[in-house]
Order: sequence, then C-alpha cells, then structure tokens
Amino acid sequence: MAVKSFKKMKLNMTAYINIALVLLIGGLLVPAWLLAGDVKPPSGDHNGKEVPQPIEFPHNIHVKDNGINCMYCHTYARRSKVAGIPPTSKCMGCHKTIATDKPRIQKLTEYWEKKESPQWKKVHDVPDFVHFTHEKHLKKFVFDRDFPVENVKEVCAFCHGELENMTVAKKVKPLTMGWCRRCHEANGGPGDCWKCHK
Amino acid sequence: MTGTINRRSFIKMMGWGGVGTALGGCDVPTTVTLEEGKEDVVSYLMPEEYVIPGVGVWYASTCTQCAAACGTQGRVREGRVLKMEGNPNSSVNSGKLCVMGQAGLQGHYNPDRIKEPMIRKNGSLSLVGWDQALATINDKLNAADGARVAWFTGTISGHQKVLLNALLESNGSSKHYVHEVVGNKVLQAVSRDMLGDAMPKYRFDKAKMILSFGADFLGSWMSSPVHFAGEYAKFRTNKPRGLLVAIEPKMTLTGGNADLWIPARPGTEAAIALAIANELINAHNKDAAILPESVRNLIGQHSAESVAKQTAVAADRIKRLAQLLNERSPSLVLAGAPVEGQTNGYAATAAIMLLNHLLGNIGQTIESPGAFAFAQLEATTGGTADLIAFTQNAKDKNLDVAFFYGTNPVYSAPDALKFGDALKNIGMKVAISQFMDETTAQADVILPAASYLEDWGTHVAAYHSEQPAISMQQPLMEKLYETTRGFGDVLLALLQNKNKDKYGQYADYYAYLRHAFSAMPASYKENPASEEHSWNAVLQKGVIKVQTTDESLSTSIAEIDTPTIPASDSAYPLTLVPSVRLGLWDGRHANLPWLQEAPDQIAKVVWDSWAEIHPSTAKKLGIEQGSIIKVSSKHGEVTLKAVLLKGLHPDVVAIPMGQGHTEYGRFAKGLGVNPLKILAPEQEQKTGELAMYATNVKITDTGKKDTVVKIGSTDTQMGRKLVGTVPVEQVRRTEGA
Repeated sequence: MAVKSFKKMKLNMTAYINIALVLLIGGLLVPAWLLAGDVKPPSGDHNGKEVPQPIEFPHNIHVKDNGINCMYCHTYARRSKVAGIPPTSKCMGCHKTIATDKPRIQKLTEYWEKKESPQWKKVHDVPDFVHFTHEKHLKKFVFDRDFPVENVKEVCAFCHGELENMTVAKKVKPLTMGWCRRCHEANGGPGDCWKCHK
Repeated sequence: MTGTINRRSFIKMMGWGGVGTALGGCDVPTTVTLEEGKEDVVSYLMPEEYVIPGVGVWYASTCTQCAAACGTQGRVREGRVLKMEGNPNSSVNSGKLCVMGQAGLQGHYNPDRIKEPMIRKNGSLSLVGWDQALATINDKLNAADGARVAWFTGTISGHQKVLLNALLESNGSSKHYVHEVVGNKVLQAVSRDMLGDAMPKYRFDKAKMILSFGADFLGSWMSSPVHFAGEYAKFRTNKPRGLLVAIEPKMTLTGGNADLWIPARPGTEAAIALAIANELINAHNKDAAILPESVRNLIGQHSAESVAKQTAVAADRIKRLAQLLNERSPSLVLAGAPVEGQTNGYAATAAIMLLNHLLGNIGQTIESPGAFAFAQLEATTGGTADLIAFTQNAKDKNLDVAFFYGTNPVYSAPDALKFGDALKNIGMKVAISQFMDETTAQADVILPAASYLEDWGTHVAAYHSEQPAISMQQPLMEKLYETTRGFGDVLLALLQNKNKDKYGQYADYYAYLRHAFSAMPASYKENPASEEHSWNAVLQKGVIKVQTTDESLSTSIAEIDTPTIPASDSAYPLTLVPSVRLGLWDGRHANLPWLQEAPDQIAKVVWDSWAEIHPSTAKKLGIEQGSIIKVSSKHGEVTLKAVLLKGLHPDVVAIPMGQGHTEYGRFAKGLGVNPLKILAPEQEQKTGELAMYATNVKITDTGKKDTVVKIGSTDTQMGRKLVGTVPVEQVRRTEGA
C-alpha cells in the first residue's frame, strides 16, 4: 500500500480493516515476556553448604562487574541437558592477558600449563533417575518467549539463585521433586511421570 | 570417530562427571551423591569443536559378540560408549541388534578384564610389560620348528585373517584350527558337495513354506540370528503368509514360532525326510529322475507307514507335510544342529536337503551368493572337528607353541577328549584374551586384548546376505586400559619380528588398515581423489559394499549313505540335547550380567542351570519341577534342577549350554553346570565334527528339591483369555478347511 500523501489517503472500509489488522498483529508481536504474570519462578529456598573449590571462581566479578552472559561460558546449556563447566581453554582465552597478576589466575595458568583441568566439586545435582535438561528449560523460558538473551541470568536464577552476588556457586534452591512440580504446575510444564523419570 | 581425529586427543577430553572419570581411571567407585561438594566435575581441557557434553554421537562399527558380523552403531557421549544398536547400512542385520550385541558394553566395561601381560614362572603368573611378553614369545617362535606352531581361534575374517595367514606363512606353519561350538559345518559340507557352495543364499522371502529339521534360524542356525529374523519377517508378511513347520527334539525359538511343531528324537529326522520324498515322488509325481538310482532305492525303502512305526510321527502327518510342500512351491527345507550332530549327520543332512532338489527349490529359494571379490577376506568358519584334530595333535606331542584367541576350548571340550591333559604337552601356550577364562588360565603367556569397542578391524560375514560387504570395526572410545592391545596390533607385532622389511612400515594396525584400504580399487572409494575423504566415508557408513560376480549353483546328488536311526540304550535311555540359550550362546557371554539375568526364550527360567524333561518322562521317573537330578552319560555326570517342559520329545533331556564356568570372572564362575563336559567323544563320520546330539544319558533323582526361578509361573492363561484361541475342529467346521 504505497501512500504518497497522508492527506490524499481516503479511508474506506478496507483501510480501516487493514489498520485494525496491523494493530492486532502488532499486538501479538509484543514480546510475550512483557505481558505480566506469564512466568512464575519457583518459590522456596535452600540454605546450602559453602563448597570450597580448587579455585575460588568469582561469579560476581564475571557477571555483575563485567556483565558477561551466563551462556558465554556455560555454552552447552542451550544445546544439551547439561550446562557444562567451561573448558579450561575458554578461561585461558581471556586470562592469557586479563588479570594475569591475580593469584587465582596464576593458579589457573598453572593448571593450563600442566594440561590439566581443575577438579571442580559438583554443587547442583539431581538423582540419576531424574532426567533434567537445561536445553528444554531455556527454550521454554528464554527462546520461546523472546526473552532478551542478555538478561538470561534472571532465568538461570530460578534454580541457581543470584550467582552475580556469589563467588563460587552455592545451592540456594531445594531442587526437590515437590519444588520442581510446583513450578511445572504454575507454568504449564509437563506433568507426566515419564517426562522426568525415563 | 573419524580418521582425522587424533585418537590420543580423547584422553585429553576427560569425561564430564564424577562417575565417568572414576571408571576411566581406576576401579575405585566414586561417590555418587546429591550432597554438594562431594562429586567431582572435571571440564574439558580443550574440547573438539563438535563435542557437546550430554549429547551423544553415533559411530558405526562391527559387533564381534558372535560370528555373524552385524554392523553396529554405538552412542558415544563425553568420550564414553553408552549404547549399542544395529547399523541400518549393514544388510546382515539391517539396523537391528540382538541381546548379545546390546550386552557388548558389559564386556567392555567388565571389572574382570585382564589389564596387563602376564608370564607364568614356576607355576604362577606374574605381571610383565609388553616388551618382555613379546620377546618371550618371539624367542620361542624363532627357535621353534614352524610346523610345530599352531593357532587356535574362533571364526575369523577380514584383515585379521590376512595378517594371521601371513604370520602362519612366515613361521612355516599351516596349523590354524578354527573352533566354534555353535556352527553348521556339516550342513556346509553337504551344501558344498550337493550345490557347489558351502553357504548358498536362502531366500526366505520367496518361500511359501519352510520345513525346518532343527534349523533354529531365529536362534543359532548359521550363527546369524538377527539376519534370519529379518528374513523370517519377510516370509511371514508375504501374501499368502508363509507356513512354518518345525521338526526337532527340543522346541527352539524357531519351533516356538512354527505353525506346526513336531517333536522328533534326534536321529530320526532323515527317515521322516525320506518318507516325505517317497510321498512327493509317488503321490505328487515329483520327478525322481534327477536322483541317482541308489538314492531312489533308499527313498523307496522309506514309506510313510514304515517310518511312522520307527519314529512315532504319524503316517498321515508325513503325507500331509508332503502335500503342503507340493502345494506351496517354492518352499525351503532346512537342516540344523540336531540333524548334523549325529554320527551319520552328513548322510542325514543330505537326505533332508535332497527335498529341495526334488521340490525344484534350487535356483528358486536357494541361490548362489556369487563370488566375493576379496576372497582373502572371506570368513573361515569354525566347527568342532578342529577341536578334535588339535587335541589329537597335542596328545601326539606335535606342538611346541599354541596361540589361543577368540575361543575357549578348555571350557567347551568334552571331558572325554581330555583336552586339558593334551594341553600339558604344549611347550608354550599363549592366550590373547580379555578375560581370565578357562583356557587363558592354562596359558603360559597372557596378552591382554583390547575390547572390540576399542579395536580396529574388518569383518566379512560368513553368510552373504543381499549385499555382501566388508564391515568396518572402529574404536568407539579410547582404551580403558592403556596396557591392552588390539588383536591386529598383536599380530602385527609378531609379524614385524619375522618380516621387518614388509611389516616394519606400519606403526600400528590402524596404519596397516589404512594402507590396505588405499590399495583397494578406486571403485570402492567415494572420492578417489581424496584418500582421507573416502576413508572417512567408509567409517561413517560402517560397510564397504563388495561387488560379486554372478554364479549359479550346481546340482549334483551323489550316493547318500543310509541314515540309520541310533539304537536306544536301555541303561542310558534318553538322548542329551545341549541346547543353545540365545544370550549365553556357547558360554562366551556368561560373564555379562544382563545376559545372565535374561530368561530362557522357551523355558522362561532365569539363572543357574537346569535340565528340561517332558512331563510324561518326569512322571515315569517320579521327578517334579525343581527336583535335583543327576544326568549321567558314560563320560560324566552333572547335577542340576529339573524343569518340566512340554516342548520336548519324551526321549530327550535338554540342558542349555553356557554355565558351569570354573574361571571367567565374578559373574560367571561357579554358576550351574556345563553339559558339553559329559558329551560322548563321538564324531560325525564324514566331516569329523563332534556328534553333539549323540550322547545317551540317564537320570537319577537325588531326592532333593529346589526352587525354579521362572517368569510366568504357569503355562495356562487361568481362564483370563489373554490370547483368544479357537480349537482346530471348530475352524475346520466353520471355515471348511
């Protein structure tokens, strides 16, 4: 519909319908995540142990101070059931040059030179009879909602807490079946037993 | 895994997750807990680009759990193989895989694997390095007379066979014994003589009726259960649906699927076949002119009525079978282990296979597989004649060095052969083995073999299906134990000692295979310009399809010896059937817990050993389900539980093979009994195979009882109408059949 001059445009019935359609479709295109109340994060907390790690990895410096996206390092989260501890090569990609004077980075460099990965301790876990997948949860809460990927930490925080205020991770959500189920019920997640127990 | 990946780099890509790391490193179980900070999570140091933790990638390879050479694919995640399935590109198994192939993982991850080479010094084994073990062998080989060096293996094919032949040649030895307990060597001999091909192609898909004389093609026949299960499905889905009749002493999986199952005492099958031939000639005008006169006379002596008296199979039934075979043309008549395992097994098998000639099935449902383009790679199938020949040679002190690989003769040889005593005459026994089985435990030098999921190789199925192929075996993961070696690598190392000039150029067996592939004609390469591309393509597909040249079968029927029905022995009134339990096979899989806990296909019994007895026989002997009985032959006895089973001829007692290991690791040792031990050392007259169905036994009750663990504790439906049935009489009345 090429319109040369607004004045010349005669609004007939068809045009009204067109405008109405444009508004309607435009309305549908409003990111779903903006509509209030579409996602209810799981409620309930857990006071986990402090877990000493081989290197006291500062999540706060990476996430809060430098604004690095969770999925930049945990790159497998959107592709796999596991989020993945980043490969040591990924750490060294930056830390060959950044903050090389810091003791933690020097320790990391030692590992790298020995061609070893730090032996991290697992913090978040579900039993082996539970099939949990990061990929499906990110699809539902981020990609299918057109949620801005730059804010993905808000979604990660549903289950992992606010890592931006921690150094090494600490378990702050219960990750129990009841807790999972309440979130599935609140957000229309699957309710079949075999979805998780397969 | 493709050729471009540095195999060593897998070690860098350490497993993600505590369980994985611990299994890879040592035997100590890791902590599996939900508690924070207890389990280790080790990241990759530098991952390959395509690796995503938690996402499996399937790689093609070949199964070596039996001799069938099915194509497989294994799911590999974080550098560890987790699941085996069939490779759809392989026409042997068309993407399917049997229970033994599925359980291959448990052999690979088995905690009882031998991890380091060992040498026996003053009677006890001590750990040594590979260099020392190989030096000890080479010193002995260099000093030995080549003619006194023997190799004793299971079925072997592909480039492993090429290397083994080269090694034998370099030693000046021709003593290669190939041993399989489950095999069809007698049928192969009959087919070679009557058709000009030991393994013709059986076209189940074209047959309108199959008459099986103990040919358990869904279980053990031709050692390719998955292939024939697929062919059977085609046969049954044809219009009209193919009709299956089985005549056998003990109901096999095939018999259990048959439309009509006829129990026969072992040794009577040939008489039944000849009576059918008699009917076909006399009642259905089949042309007997193709048969030599002596065979015509032999058939003439077997009227349905006279055979009915000898075999207790009714004359009407024999006539009806002849009528069905006549109506349903083309058909297929097959012979299997119970027929072959007689002292006159060759004549009996020939008498049965004769029906195919009479019915005009040759060229219709029995075809030539054509000539395979790489004859040197074709499988050498095993039997039991070589076991007997080897034992005799060892007894006669003709052997100084013997190598054992892929077979366990100390377990499978009947006691009466005195195989263990014969072994003592061999100066040096070398076992290349993954496990401390009965044979390996007798060895002087033990070389730890890599599992088939860690090894390179090529395999050619002995039975050529629609598309004959070389099946590629590639490692699905890095070796669990650095100090194990693949079979090809061991052969190469021994060859390099003898012939450095020719074989010194190959760093390992992989290098040899690459060289062998590059020497293949350009037509076998996807992109002849790029060797790398072609090799990767072959590994991705898992098979190299091989052209065959058309050939036709010859039909020549020579004299057939009169198949005699074995006389019954009043002291030992029953015949022993050493039956194949799909899963444990000949005992090689007794150390895999998944297969140990899988119930028998017909008796549905789980665990342990048992003797199957017909209820009427049991009643006569006063035996009940679970009675502890002694089954004795003239050559030994075994004590085990009785299981009453209707799918059995009343004159036989069946004992599944596979249990009764005295070695072979924690999952196999000390369970059940081995029926092979009490077999009579009778041989089939023409082929020299062990007559495995010719042992007479008696049963004595010990008076004790035990529980039989069985799924489905009752044979009836308890009135629940789970499967609707209609009596034959009613069908005849209403359908007019």
